[in-house]
Amino acid sequence: MPGGTAFVKVTVSRVLALVALVVLIGMMPWLSGRGAEYTILRARYSDREPTPEALAAVRAELGLEQGPLPLFLSWIRGVFAGDLGTSWISNTPVAPGIASALSVSVTLMAFALAAAAIIALLLCTPAVMDGLRQRRRPASGALSAALTSLPEFLLAAMLLVAGAIWLRWFPPFGWKGPEYAVLPALSLGIPAGGLIGLLASDAIRAGFAEQWVATWRMSGAGPVRLTAAVLRRAMPAVLPQIGLVLIGLTGGAVAVEKVYAIPGLGRALLGAASAQDIPTLQAGMLALMGLALLVGTLTTAARYLLIGPAVRFGTLPLAEPPRPGNRRQLALPAAAGVALLLIVVAGLLRDPFTSDHARLAAPGWPLPFGADASGRDLLARVGHGAVGTLGMALVVVLACLAVGIAVGLFPLAAAGPVEVANAAPPILAGLVVAALIGPSAHGAAVAVAAVSWAPLAAHTAALAQEARAQAYVQILPVLGVGRARIMFRYVLPAVAWPLLRHAMLRLPGIALALAALGFLGLGPQQPTPEWGLILAEGIGYVERAPWAVLAPASALVLASVVAVGLAGAGHGARVSTGNTAGGVTLPGTDPVQAPEHVGTPGAR
Amino acid sequence: MSDGGGSVSDGGGSNGGGTFSNNDAGSVSNSGGVTGALAADGVSFAYPAPRVGSCGVHGTRHDGTLKSVSLHLAPGSSTALMGSSGSGKSTLVRILLALAKPSAGTVALGAREVKPGPARSLRWYRQAVQYIPQNPAGSLDPRMTVSQLLREPLRQLRVAGNHRALVGEALERVEVPAGLLERRPGELSGGQNQRVAIARALAVQPAYLLADEPVSGLDLPLRDTVLSLLGNLVRQEGLGLLLVTHDLGTAARVCGTTAVMAHGRIVEHGPTYRVLDSPGSPEAAALVQASAALHYPPGLPAGAA
Repeated sequence: MPGGTAFVKVTVSRVLALVALVVLIGMMPWLSGRGAEYTILRARYSDREPTPEALAAVRAELGLEQGPLPLFLSWIRGVFAGDLGTSWISNTPVAPGIASALSVSVTLMAFALAAAAIIALLLCTPAVMDGLRQRRRPASGALSAALTSLPEFLLAAMLLVAGAIWLRWFPPFGWKGPEYAVLPALSLGIPAGGLIGLLASDAIRAGFAEQWVATWRMSGAGPVRLTAAVLRRAMPAVLPQIGLVLIGLTGGAVAVEKVYAIPGLGRALLGAASAQDIPTLQAGMLALMGLALLVGTLTTAARYLLIGPAVRFGTLPLAEPPRPGNRRQLALPAAAGVALLLIVVAGLLRDPFTSDHARLAAPGWPLPFGADASGRDLLARVGHGAVGTLGMALVVVLACLAVGIAVGLFPLAAAGPVEVANAAPPILAGLVVAALIGPSAHGAAVAVAAVSWAPLAAHTAALAQEARAQAYVQILPVLGVGRARIMFRYVLPAVAWPLLRHAMLRLPGIALALAALGFLGLGPQQPTPEWGLILAEGIGYVERAPWAVLAPASALVLASVVAVGLAGAGHGARVSTGNTAGGVTLPGTDPVQAPEHVGTPGAR
Repeated sequence: MSDGGGSVSDGGGSNGGGTFSNNDAGSVSNSGGVTGALAADGVSFAYPAPRVGSCGVHGTRHDGTLKSVSLHLAPGSSTALMGSSGSGKSTLVRILLALAKPSAGTVALGAREVKPGPARSLRWYRQAVQYIPQNPAGSLDPRMTVSQLLREPLRQLRVAGNHRALVGEALERVEVPAGLLERRPGELSGGQNQRVAIARALAVQPAYLLADEPVSGLDLPLRDTVLSLLGNLVRQEGLGLLLVTHDLGTAARVCGTTAVMAHGRIVEHGPTYRVLDSPGSPEAAALVQASAALHYPPGLPAGAA
């Protein structure tokens, strides 16, 4: 296929994906099926009875009667004229509130970026030192990888307990001065900086291992010059990942702002979603989309500056999970998995619903994890929560697999949607879905599924490309095999097993995303035992009963350790198969594995 | 064949005088009644601008273009297509197989023109013209059994007749025991796999066979077996064969005529013995010399009959 056509296809696909996103945001009032007029009648005119006439009047006032297209057109016209609409709840213009919330969020993100930069630098220094001293060490350890991939909402809760309750170094809630920003910035910055640092130090180690470094060294290049050259070589590969991490901060910020009661954009959106204030949500989403586009453009521009116009597209590859370097480093994830299993089995044997214990009872022999504010057994709730959360995650994973395969077989046309889905944080998707259909377990599942299929689609595309390049597929047209049969009888079976394995490795990560939504009140509602929900319930009592936070938090920590371990294991398996088989089927090897190759474009 | 057939010749010497015939009157056993010459006329081809980003199998490539190439094949004749890498041999084969569309010129079988298109519209052509790829063993899906592999084209091309019998017959021709029918490629030797791939092409009973270096990578005894099989098919069953090869010895052994390609053109086309003995173009001369140097250590009289 001519390169020009491919570029045009990808560009068109990107533009269409963005337009679709804007249209989706613009149509939210119409899509909102929760009886918007009831919400508004209650909020604005509490004295009026909800008679059909009153409701019809509200609908007419909002313009809901005119249908989706005119509604969207009048909204987009307003946006271009600088009018973001009027809040359904307070009946005041949305723009000023969003602007001030955005400035708070951007300030918070600047603090978070500073924290992330420091952490990333700390993680990269050993790699540079080793490189300059010509030592080769395996890539970064599993423990640091696991710690840095804790979800923001969990880290925020843990830092709140440690930094504000036990140590009393920082204020727990509010936004009045720089000291208020430390814990939130760390909650956002530790995972972000950790991920960036791990990816960058891996790239730096790989850079120092390349042949040309020895040549430069022999011709007398000093340490500063060598380091600069290696950084210039290593950074372009990492920059798109950094862009993704930064965009992901917007999702994490929602949880962090909720935990620390910061009046930022995330908290405003969370409030708007639960109050069904669609215009506020629309404006906030638009602001976040602009922010994401800005970050994406800046990282792409930085890449151009570093390596020139050699990059044309594929500039936003998928986030690559940090990975342990070898089998020995899988010991920790395995231990975490066993511990989690023990907790779940013990908890399943107990009753999670009845309140027959003392409120907030301390942990002891009869109640190993203590009791929550309603006097329910926390061990039982955590155990049952695992089944609910993981069960839902399994459904989401299978849905993602189906979508990923369908999309991945048409990689060029799907480039735009893949990038959008990949960059969109699950929490933001959860906000939109909750605003449209109300917070619920299946709403959360839809939201997470909507943005989690992208890595599977990319893997499908890579595997399918590999499978199509096999000699035994290339000859099929000569044998009279049609395109559909090539796809379903030959390519699909070749890619199915590796994809299923990849999908299963994503299970714990998806469970964490679901827990994040539950924590924000965008998922299942009381009294369902769901990890995020249990954590959210406990956080109000964190000063009196830290165990109410620690029980679900430790389960979630174990799950993230397992998630990172599995992701790393999957990555290692993919790379090693790709290296040894390289698409050639060796006699006696499992033929299904032959076409499997490096999965994530990030690894290119 | 434009040069006319019927020339019987001593094979130029290097292989010790393999005799072959170019018999236009051979009986064509098959192929839905489609007969006549397989002809490429004035075919040109240029690869599009280099693709950016992903590098597929047909990634950035500047050579492999064709400039107004004509080549005619007749039933019962065999032609060797020679030339260095990038001279356009593979491109010409892809166009003859209707896998690539020429930018100018036509491919026709008999009176019917052939263009790349949906599988259904090309069934008649696929049954008449089959292909043995380079590394035939790699062209077998490792998940399928020998039986499934051979039946697939029969079923997809809607070949008439008893498929089980056709499969058995094809395997017998290439001397693969019927006991291997339920084995998978991973359970067969390299030579067996290669013969299975050849049997798959023969099972649909094509009138023409295009073979791309079908014996490279085989050990010498096996090479011998496969080449005599191909030779027999041409002589006894009237198959039309186009054999792409780097090796003049192979060409001399099986093919009555030889076409030499260079820079996207056919620079020489004639009876193999003539190309061998008195190459008329510098490219052909270079090929003969290089081939002779491969077969004889320096110091021995190369190409002496």
